[in-house]
Amino acid sequence: MSKIVLEVEGLRTSFFTRKGIVKAVDGVSFFVREKETLGIVGESGCGKTVTGMSIMRLLPEPGGKIVGGRITLNGTSLLELSKREMRNIRGCMVSMILQDPMTSLNPVYTIGDQIAESVRMHQNLADEKMITNEVVSSLRLLQIPSPETLLKNYPFQLSGGMRQRVVGAIAMCCKPSLLIADEPTTALDATIQAQYIALFKDIQAKTDVAIIFITHDFGVIADMCHRVAVMYAGKIVESASTSEIFKKPQHPYTRALINSVPRLDRKDDRLYSIEGQPPSLMHLPPGCRFCERCSDSLEICSKEEPPEKNIGNNHTVSCWRVQ
Amino acid sequence: MADILLEGRNLTMLYPVRRGLFQGLIGMVRAVDNVSFSIERGKTLSLVGESGAGKTTTAKSVLLLERATSGSVYFEGKDIYQYNKDQLKREYRPRVQAVQQNPWSSMNPRMRVKDIVAEPLVVNAKQSKKENYDRVVELLDQVGLKAEHAEHFPHEFSGGQRQRIAVARALALNPSLVVLDEPVSALDVSIRAQIMNLLKDLQEAHNLSYLVIAHNLATVRYMSHGVAIMYLGQIVEYGDTEDLFENPLHPYTNALISASDLKLPEDRDQNEKEIILSGEMPSPLNPPTGCRFHTRCPEARPECSKIEPEMVTVGKHQVKCHKFV
Ligand SMILES: Nc1ncnc2c1ncn2[C@@H]1O[C@H](COP(=O)(O)OP(=O)(O)OP(=O)(O)O)[C@@H](O)[C@H]1O
Ligand SMILES: Nc1ncnc2c1ncn2[C@@H]1O[C@H](COP(=O)(O)OP(=O)(O)OP(=O)(O)O)[C@@H](O)[C@H]1O
Ligand SMILES: [Mg+2]
Ligand SMILES: [Mg+2]
Repeated sequence: MSKIVLEVEGLRTSFFTRKGIVKAVDGVSFFVREKETLGIVGESGCGKTVTGMSIMRLLPEPGGKIVGGRITLNGTSLLELSKREMRNIRGCMVSMILQDPMTSLNPVYTIGDQIAESVRMHQNLADEKMITNEVVSSLRLLQIPSPETLLKNYPFQLSGGMRQRVVGAIAMCCKPSLLIADEPTTALDATIQAQYIALFKDIQAKTDVAIIFITHDFGVIADMCHRVAVMYAGKIVESASTSEIFKKPQHPYTRALINSVPRLDRKDDRLYSIEGQPPSLMHLPPGCRFCERCSDSLEICSKEEPPEKNIGNNHTVSCWRVQ
Repeated sequence: MADILLEGRNLTMLYPVRRGLFQGLIGMVRAVDNVSFSIERGKTLSLVGESGAGKTTTAKSVLLLERATSGSVYFEGKDIYQYNKDQLKREYRPRVQAVQQNPWSSMNPRMRVKDIVAEPLVVNAKQSKKENYDRVVELLDQVGLKAEHAEHFPHEFSGGQRQRIAVARALALNPSLVVLDEPVSALDVSIRAQIMNLLKDLQEAHNLSYLVIAHNLATVRYMSHGVAIMYLGQIVEYGDTEDLFENPLHPYTNALISASDLKLPEDRDQNEKEIILSGEMPSPLNPPTGCRFHTRCPEARPECSKIEPEMVTVGKHQVKCHKFV
């Protein structure tokens, strides 16, 4: 089996706000191997982006703080690094495609300048010609047609799909071993999304990069990811290989999520729907966080948090129903 | 015989494009180009297609937010483009309502829910204040909200609840047709099913017709009876939902289906017929000659770039592609 690139153990990240403490990520553990794509799926506000930002150590300051756990990237413990050491690792060993592509491109610089800037920051290339070569080759990796022309364009001159490719090129230009992609396809049209996903698979085959793909779209998960972690209210409630998740979902939340998505390959008369909303991360209930919305709950569920169980095949679930 | 409620006939919408604020015209965008469709009473027609396909523009011409440059809209057999202002106000507008794409921006944040929902009733000015309030409570109940919600402001609600409020407002005047622009795409996955189920229940209870605009094909299959697949301002495939999904004909439809189908890892490895289009959507300012899809079509032939295909009937639905002419 290929080697583990990233290991996250018991990660806890909170926001200290005037109204109280928001436990955005509350004891999350997972790992990603080389050449592997891990999907993190869950509804809005469950802590997906904060998990990614914690790995990057890019939490908004003041307020956002990692309060516990360990993050190990290629054997280096990231939480023990100084800010400066972390800056060198970022973009070099790990990079992240942010949720909002417009914020990650500077409107006043050309595409070429922006990619060159990140090449310059992380690789000690003095020769401008070599830098240009690196830039062009990373645009090629993202299958951008006629990269030499595109270098001179500004972000607003590009379509949404092309802009997203440029963001991908910047993330990949220093050949990171881990790429965190936060909803990179959500704003794209279906056929452009299909292009983008095919592209990621191709890049992974060429570079062995480990990918964390954050999304709320199970279609993207099925198409792209080898394994899946399902998040709910700051915790991973289930994780398994993609086919196990679809065929044998164990957690009632996973089951409900999968059943509530309409399918193209069959005619549903009625969709399964989960009533209610997730709990506030500032006032978490004592027991299982899904208890209030669960149609299958036991007495213990509202009192004690279920421990994580491994039911074989690296399939883990946190639910009192699962033996 | 099908009971047709609304029909769009040969709708075309041209928009002038200017460079800068004061400079001259540089061209016309054919946002919608000769589009025809019909919606049956109590049924749903969905317009599907990617960004810039002309879906919202088509809906605007039905809602009379903008008049089509040419073509017409028939409602219960009558050409409403011939109606005068007064006739429209009495006989058409109250019966055709809309739910906007974005539940956040479509509501005045300073208005209470009861006033938001009652707005069409007040504009219509047929009932007393008390009657309006009773109607609001009744509507809130129909969309799964409580009477006490009437006093709250929009920001106190989640996205799903706001969409319920928007639906309640659209139903206030007992319309026959509701136009829904991307009714669930801004919502969380787990909330989407609630709203889609609600819309289906309301349709059944009130024999409503829907014109739904959507990106997501699976949503469309679940919600609709008829589908129109749009590409660059034109309908390229049109017909009964089940027939169209069971037997898709147009190469663009096939690409959309391939992009939206759930591909589990085991199917993935077989690497069967996944279709990935190359290139991007061309600019509507300067659309390709011949068939508009030919620049991205995996099955394009020489004639495709020269001659625009006619819409033809194949089996139970219609398609605009040289393969079937
Ligand atoms: N700067 C902040 N201050 C306070 N709370 C925050 C801050 N940033 C995020 N949060 C809270 O942390 C929780 C997790 O947020 P996060 O952005 O990780 O969600 P997400 O799963 O990425 O959701 P989405 O699908 O909407 O992107 C949310 O409840 C959010 O309100
Ligand atoms: N007022 C206008 N002036 C000029 N061009 C316009 C105007 N409104 C729309 N267009 C153009 O017409 C085309 C169709 O737009 P429309 O909004 O109908 O697309 P759509 O299918 O609803 O796309 P989306 O999925 O992005 O909402 C687009 O190319 C758009 O830029
Ligand atoms: Mg996020
Ligand atoms: Mg639109």
